[in-house]
Amino acid sequence: MEQMLVYLAYAAAALGALAVYAALPREGRPASRGVVLTLVAAAVGALLLLMGQLLGEAGQRVYFYVLSLLTLGGAVRVVTHPRPVYAALFFVMVVLSTAALMVLVGAEFLAAALVIVYAGAILVTYVFVIMLAQQSAPQSGGMFAQALQYDRDSREPMAAVLVGFVLVGTIAGVIVNYEWTGLAEYKTTAAEGNTLALGRVLLTDFAVSVELAGLLLTVAMVGAIALARKRIPQHDEGEPELAPGEIGKRVSPF
Amino acid sequence: MAILIPLLPLAGAALVGLIGLRGLRARSHWLVILPVAASLYLAVQLYFQVQASTQACAHGVRQMFESFTIYQWMLAGPDSWLNVSFRVDPLTCVMLLTVLIVSFLVIIYSVGYMRDHHGHAERGYERFFAFLAIFVFSMCTLVLAGNFLVLYVGWELVGLSSYLLIGFYYQRPAAAAAAKKAFLVNRIGDFGFGLGILLIYYTFGTLEYANVFRMIQAGVTVEGVPLESARVTTIALLLFCGAMGKSAQLPLHVWLPDAMEGPTPVSALIHAATMVTAGVYMVARCHIIFAASPYAMWIVATIGAATALFAATIALTQFDMKRILAYSTLSQLGYMFLALGVSAFDSAIFHLFTHAFFKALLFLGAGSVMHAMAGEIDVRRFGGLRKSMPITHATFLIGGLALAGFPFLAGFWSKDEIIHAAFESDMPWLAWVAVVTAWLTAFYTFRMIYMAFYGRERLPEGVEHAHESGAWMSLPLVILSIGAIGAGYLGVTIHRGGFAGIFEPHGAFHDFLSRNFGRPEVSHEGGGHLLMYVSSLIALWGIATAWYFYRRRPTIPMAIALVAGPVYRLLYHKYYVDEVYDRVFVRPLRKVGEICYDLDRYLINGVLWLITLVPRGIGFGLRRWQQGAMQGYALGMVVGLVVVLWWMLMTT
Amino acid sequence: MTTATTLIILGAALFGIGVVGFLTRRNLIIMFLCTEVMFQGVLINFVAMGLARGNLQGQVFALFVLVIAAVEAGLGLAIVVMLYRRRGTLDAESWRGMRG
Repeated sequence: MEQMLVYLAYAAAALGALAVYAALPREGRPASRGVVLTLVAAAVGALLLLMGQLLGEAGQRVYFYVLSLLTLGGAVRVVTHPRPVYAALFFVMVVLSTAALMVLVGAEFLAAALVIVYAGAILVTYVFVIMLAQQSAPQSGGMFAQALQYDRDSREPMAAVLVGFVLVGTIAGVIVNYEWTGLAEYKTTAAEGNTLALGRVLLTDFAVSVELAGLLLTVAMVGAIALARKRIPQHDEGEPELAPGEIGKRVSPF
Repeated sequence: MAILIPLLPLAGAALVGLIGLRGLRARSHWLVILPVAASLYLAVQLYFQVQASTQACAHGVRQMFESFTIYQWMLAGPDSWLNVSFRVDPLTCVMLLTVLIVSFLVIIYSVGYMRDHHGHAERGYERFFAFLAIFVFSMCTLVLAGNFLVLYVGWELVGLSSYLLIGFYYQRPAAAAAAKKAFLVNRIGDFGFGLGILLIYYTFGTLEYANVFRMIQAGVTVEGVPLESARVTTIALLLFCGAMGKSAQLPLHVWLPDAMEGPTPVSALIHAATMVTAGVYMVARCHIIFAASPYAMWIVATIGAATALFAATIALTQFDMKRILAYSTLSQLGYMFLALGVSAFDSAIFHLFTHAFFKALLFLGAGSVMHAMAGEIDVRRFGGLRKSMPITHATFLIGGLALAGFPFLAGFWSKDEIIHAAFESDMPWLAWVAVVTAWLTAFYTFRMIYMAFYGRERLPEGVEHAHESGAWMSLPLVILSIGAIGAGYLGVTIHRGGFAGIFEPHGAFHDFLSRNFGRPEVSHEGGGHLLMYVSSLIALWGIATAWYFYRRRPTIPMAIALVAGPVYRLLYHKYYVDEVYDRVFVRPLRKVGEICYDLDRYLINGVLWLITLVPRGIGFGLRRWQQGAMQGYALGMVVGLVVVLWWMLMTT
Repeated sequence: MTTATTLIILGAALFGIGVVGFLTRRNLIIMFLCTEVMFQGVLINFVAMGLARGNLQGQVFALFVLVIAAVEAGLGLAIVVMLYRRRGTLDAESWRGMRG
């Protein structure tokens, strides 16, 4: 019966999604594609939920891998998406799935903090800045129609990818066979729960660090205000003004 | 209590330095006068304490000669602390009182002197008082020192304040050059002094006066080996080297006359009354070292006598009042060293004491004249100031009489004692030098007085009328002239009886100092009285000659100058010492400097230039990769990170 | 492979992807976002190591990383806005002041 209730709730959510989607304004485009997408998403969600219910402990691992994949995929899109706004939104995805991973490994407080600080505060700042620094973009160019020239082009993709993935490979190669030894201190006691234990550790053993972090935030706030208030000349005197064609011209170091 | 004496003026200096320019300006003198007055009061208290303890039991006296440690300064070796320690004994008291009385009066005088005729403070007024306070601090430290290290610190500090004050009018190239000269010449002396102190430490393993003197009297070194007399002589001569620099004795005297470029109160205080006597004080302080080396004593006496005569002859031909007084100071310092050299240490300190009064008085009087003459100090340009400047004239005359050794004034007693001690010593021929110098002293002093104050009134261009200085300046003159008259009586005993026996040249002053120097063995009977008559006559004869030459027959000096042309020119150009030094030391050194400069410029710089070619060549090659794009650098960083990480992980 | 190991590899992968993005993208804002991705990787790593060690220190460090990330974002974005106002473009290539 309880199982049924869960599925009912899930179905209700899917219906709600459909309804809201149908109600959103759009200009003559048929709603079918959106409906299909929503239904597919609902189905995948239901499948996952079901798997979790059926497989138990193994289901946790399924969640874990799915969330890991989502994180990775989001990260790849952040890095590759030509338009900053979408990159920022994919980053939200990375943060959210990371937060879910944190919940899975028992770090609930950190998960909450991630969502609030990252997805809430920092990302909003990013979006603001993106809006603030918006440039008019060329209207032609297919998929990249809304992207600026310098967003459509990446510098040194070969070298960067090589280096980055050699780094990942090196670390992963070492880590897979590493034997961890446990340390007893700062252990969570099951009775307390993660948040209480973390708070206790933070405000006793790391109290000074917490104060320092607060101080650092204050300093950063003052610094950010000072930077933002500064009047900025359009071009500084020492620098030659670049011709429009010259801006964004790539210069290869290799 | 003793520690406060130097610290109060230092605090005054610091305060003036901190708030003088903005807050006080023309009132900054109070911040110096008050601490110095307080120090003077403390010094008087200290004197009474010491006076009481000298009369107390022998234990108290012994206690007094041990210096007391203010704090441990640094560890010089295993169990060998160098301390900041002070020592208060009769010699210290005498010096402290001399320094502080003269400083106090000179500071008061400066309040009037460092202003123009409208009473506006001169530029740098507060700086001047801050420097004066630093000087008082330094001199008190020097005098109170309980070991050679603190003595050396004080010694260098007074050198510094002297430099600062000579160069007070640093806008004038002559003043800046004079300050540099004083500092450099002193450096030569101080180098020897420093070596002497190092040798003392090397020999005795300690720098505390009491320990060093005890070991010298016992004749052993720190290892317990018998002390060689050559070693003592070396130490004494190296110390005397410092004294020659600071007290401007013969080969190193050249800085003192030039130091007159400083403001006149400075000349009075530092370059006549106090700092230049530091050498005398130091030799008197170390009299045990010097007494252990007859050869060093011989050198001290000879150089003293030579300087006395040498400087007096130069003073005959000079026209600049302050320079005449400067050479006179050299000459009187020579007397003091002569006294030290013939073991009459108390006489030397006595002369130092009286000299401080009358020479400070003369300088301040000259300053008063200079102030009235709008900075003119050449006695050929003015004259006959007797009427218009009565107080200055009267006090200057008293000072001049005291300097000339006129009977019953301060200089008479002390100088007489020195000449007597020289006759009694095994170098009586030095006494004859001193007698001749005494005559010359009387002559040049009154030559100056007659030229400046007597005759028809003449004023330099631009000065409408001479006027007497204000109360700030006159009061110290009057007080100092009382000292110039009376200070000598501290050193004589007045007997009732026949005329010849009234004055005994050994008084309270010597009794007080006898704790330091012991009772003198030379008797003051018989010969002393005869000498008194003789030296009175010599002084009078000198004064009379000056009167005859410069009042009665003003043509005579010119005639003499013409007849004795080469000699006159030799004296007028101060024996060409500066020129000789220029030829022998300065120019060759400058040549060496130029050669070194060229070497540096062409050889060393050339080699360095060749070396720089290597990184420059590398940089030229690498510049291609410096495109200025941040991401290029970031890529390099990550590549480096990967390489290092790879290497680290693969090697472990 | 334990959960901790997987998480660490995930963290390393995020870091690597962030590095790649930082090196290749020319939009200043996206470069910043890439650094945030790198931060995310580091954060996951801290948590995973805490998990492996069986204590809370990893999470404490992760929280401090969060603080640093916030500070960095605030200041960095202020600088980006400044640069944008000065040049009118977000192209990192337009800043060549570090040329040797």
